[in-house]
Amino acid sequence: MNAMLESLREHWRDQAAALPGDTARRERALEAFLAEGLPTTAEEDWKYTSLAHLEQARLTLPGPVTLARAMAAVERHGVPDLEGPRLVFVNGQLIPPACRLEGRVPGLTIESLAQVLGEHDADEALDRVVDLDRYRLARLNTALFQDGARVRATKGVITDAPIYLLFLTLGDAEAMQLVQPRVLIETAEGASVTVIEHHCGEGEAAVINAVTEIVAQPGSRVTHYRIQEHADTHAQVASLNARLDRDAALVCHNIDLGGAVVRNDVHVRLIAPGADVELNGLYFTRGTSHVDNHTRVDHLAPHTSSREDYRGVLAGRSRAVFNGKVLVAEDAQKIEAHQSNNNLLLSHECEIDTKPELEIYADDVKCSHGATVGQLDATALFYLRSRGLDEDTARGLLTFAFAEEVIARLGIAPLAERLSSTVIGHLPDSDRLRAFT
Amino acid sequence: MLKIKDLHARIDGKDILKGLSLEISAGEVHAIMGPNGAGKSTLAQVLAGREGYEIVSGSVEFCGRDLLALAPEERAREGVFLAFQYPVEIPGVNNVYLLKAALNAIRKHRGEDELDAYAFMKIIREKMQLMQMDASFLNRGVNEGFSGGEKKRNEILQMAVLEPKLALLDETDSGLDIDAMKVVADGVNSLRSPERAIIMVTHYQRLLDHIVPDVVHVLADGRIVKSGDRSLALELEAHGYEWLQQAVGT
Ligand SMILES: Nc1ncnc2c1ncn2[C@@H]1O[C@H](COP(=O)(O)OP(=O)(O)O)[C@@H](O)[C@H]1O
Ligand SMILES: [Mg+2]
Repeated sequence: MNAMLESLREHWRDQAAALPGDTARRERALEAFLAEGLPTTAEEDWKYTSLAHLEQARLTLPGPVTLARAMAAVERHGVPDLEGPRLVFVNGQLIPPACRLEGRVPGLTIESLAQVLGEHDADEALDRVVDLDRYRLARLNTALFQDGARVRATKGVITDAPIYLLFLTLGDAEAMQLVQPRVLIETAEGASVTVIEHHCGEGEAAVINAVTEIVAQPGSRVTHYRIQEHADTHAQVASLNARLDRDAALVCHNIDLGGAVVRNDVHVRLIAPGADVELNGLYFTRGTSHVDNHTRVDHLAPHTSSREDYRGVLAGRSRAVFNGKVLVAEDAQKIEAHQSNNNLLLSHECEIDTKPELEIYADDVKCSHGATVGQLDATALFYLRSRGLDEDTARGLLTFAFAEEVIARLGIAPLAERLSSTVIGHLPDSDRLRAFT
Repeated sequence: MLKIKDLHARIDGKDILKGLSLEISAGEVHAIMGPNGAGKSTLAQVLAGREGYEIVSGSVEFCGRDLLALAPEERAREGVFLAFQYPVEIPGVNNVYLLKAALNAIRKHRGEDELDAYAFMKIIREKMQLMQMDASFLNRGVNEGFSGGEKKRNEILQMAVLEPKLALLDETDSGLDIDAMKVVADGVNSLRSPERAIIMVTHYQRLLDHIVPDVVHVLADGRIVKSGDRSLALELEAHGYEWLQQAVGT
């Protein structure tokens, strides 16, 4: 057993009793995870993304952070000006003074998992959607997560204000922390919620292993944001697992602007006619960062639809991976699945591996996919220069515009503005580009 | 103002301009007509500095300077403006910000102060009125989702704001209905001035009913094969380019 797995076993021994919820279930998950270990590049799904550097890392479950330190970090990283409820977690622990839950909407429940596990049905509500055999790191989350959020909307409840979940990781020089955000979103028939998961951090190396589950009952709607702005010392693995019933709709925005090694899995199951998912993604990789997005949409019923548009901007010596899988089950006739992945390479040393994967067992389907890897459009570049803009500004502007098309779809102005500003900050000549926004 | 001497240009190994010569002075409006594929857009793009063309021989002098030695943005700042035959859609780059950046880049080059927001908007509003464009165009992406006619109007709006010395209009009339053509023509006419030269590339003579040129050139097979006054355009209209090719013996 390697050092990482050993350290996990020790933590289990010392801290299992303090973890909220059903200990037996946690233990089963831990044993299964320890038996399998971390995924390796020998596995097809992990071919391009190595977690080998973590095998010898002794991980620590984080202890409490002082309130002053937590509040100062929230101030630095949180998105200001967002209306609506919020839960804030720093190193996996809820920071009540930073949360805002007043002005509750009847039928909408937003809870800290640590507070509700062990009560009612909360334990059984977990692990219902995630395919644990495929997303093995989710088992580690189930075994050792410390806290997270549960969002529930009862029948017909429609909420406008986004629910903001901030997960902050403050890396520590003394020990590499394992921070495991956990989110569960459940919408009853006809309900509608918007949830922003904002994952960010600073400081020394840390490992973040997040799991989100979404269960959408017939006719309900979930708009979900996963905004990742980790420090360039942080490794992050996340899986988003959703099940959509008849006429349910899910829109997912996946934005990656940080992290050293990042792996995101999205798995959406469309289980009844009319279910619809839209996946909207942007990754901007720089330096030596590595961002891997694997998405999988299972069309398990006829008349289901999916649209996916992921874009990447790669700079420096960074690397990105995109793998978009669409599965169409045998009886799933009349489905529509469209996918595109476009990448801009800003340097000669960056690298992208992009692969669509279609597995279709029905015959009456409309599917399309396309991937591009390229440089900026020469005609657009000439157009801008012919208006007097110098070449660097024109290039920066077109790069920004490429990313901005994804950001423009976010629909929440304070969030979009914040991300636009971050993207500009990552481009050369950012001061000049700011004049354009 | 502009002296093109025996210009030969090629792209991808194909000769397009084959010894083209042309002179235009400040205050003049020239029309260039010619069949499809003659090299009209190539000439316009070469003058504006599009990369990818190989200049085999010849020279272009603009206000006493070697135009071909300048980068596209330097040409723009010196006062060359190209209204594109196919204006580019650039989603994510705001129309009004582009106008502002372009105007300020040119002003800076001329040694003038950058305009503040108020002074800038005053100019924009005035020019938009001239082009009968709704203010909503300003906050859209550059040409994004514009109809063909709206794109052409937007090109002339940019020209009106930037006030170039030399304007190259590449088929600004194509795809316009008669009302839109009048708006565009009024826009162009309002910019006629003793300090400015305008070259209009067009396929049809109908634009010339609205913007009356001083000189009409016929460009065929990479060369100016005939120049004359306005009546040349009418003759072309009546007899077609075949007549011309026979007339000049090509
Ligand atoms: N990138 C290119 N590669 C090869 N040939 C080109 C290219 N661009 C234009 N041409 C050719 O150059 C000729 C002149 O084109 P153009 O200048 O657009 O003509 P016009 O504007 O007069 O219709 C045409 O035969 C066209 O096919
Ligand atoms: Mg042309």
